[in-house]
Amino acid sequence: MELTDADLVARVLVDDDQHAFGELVRRHQSSVRGLLRQLTRTDIALADDLAQQAFLRAYKNIRSFRGEARFSTWLYRIAYNCFREDARRRKELVGIDEEQLQTQHDPQAADPGLRHDLMRALNLLPLNERSAILLCCQNGLSHDEAARVLDIPLGTVKTNVLRGREKLKRMLADWGPNQVK
Amino acid sequence: MKQMNQEDWLDRELREAAPYIDDEGFTARVLQQLPPLRRRHDLLRAVILLGMAFLASVLAYVVSGGGRFVGVTLERLAALPALWVFGLALASGLVIAAAGATAAISRSRASLT
Repeated sequence: MELTDADLVARVLVDDDQHAFGELVRRHQSSVRGLLRQLTRTDIALADDLAQQAFLRAYKNIRSFRGEARFSTWLYRIAYNCFREDARRRKELVGIDEEQLQTQHDPQAADPGLRHDLMRALNLLPLNERSAILLCCQNGLSHDEAARVLDIPLGTVKTNVLRGREKLKRMLADWGPNQVK
Repeated sequence: MKQMNQEDWLDRELREAAPYIDDEGFTARVLQQLPPLRRRHDLLRAVILLGMAFLASVLAYVVSGGGRFVGVTLERLAALPALWVFGLALASGLVIAAAGATAAISRSRASLT
């Protein structure tokens, strides 16, 4: 029988079992790295660095995980904090602005089609709407869980998802269900 | 219905736009960077703390003339008016509650980092 995330966390806590933590990393690396890739607008190297940082921080603070939320939600929260801290630091150091970020790092630019347009449309959304859409629509978190991850009120998450969806639908109007043959 | 189809379509496309990312050594890199096991150090620390506490207790017992001060303090406490005892108990309760609340807040903050 496969161990649950809670079982693995218990093993890390009780036995300091690094293999159990390794299993947790293996289980969640794809979703955490995927989320960070989207948040960093597909800067793969930066996203992987942040993901590593997030997992290390999770290991160091695993005693503060009390099992009230899903382990993945707790991880997303740490990953999102790593992303925010890095974005703030980079903005302070280099003075990167939103417009610059929107035009850089787009390895999928050579991949034409719906996927490319969807990624481009996502990248054009403001960070608050993009984060809410990524967590709720792409990673399957409830609005409540997303509110915990983003540390914002539940109502704000719902508004951001709604606005983000509307903008995406407008930007992808040519690809809608009635247009795709 | 049309609105529903639009949303289903968008959600499906968003989910499919996030394919599974192969590990490709990521987990191994994370594990390599984990801090070394602290279990033995924790055990050593516990032994030292318990030993020191035991020694301090023995020293306090010997210096205070066989713990006579405990009896004296209890006698004094029993002689206090009831209102004073109530006040002392209330103050102690408040101090413990404040310490507990502070610890709970700091733990919940740490869990959110």
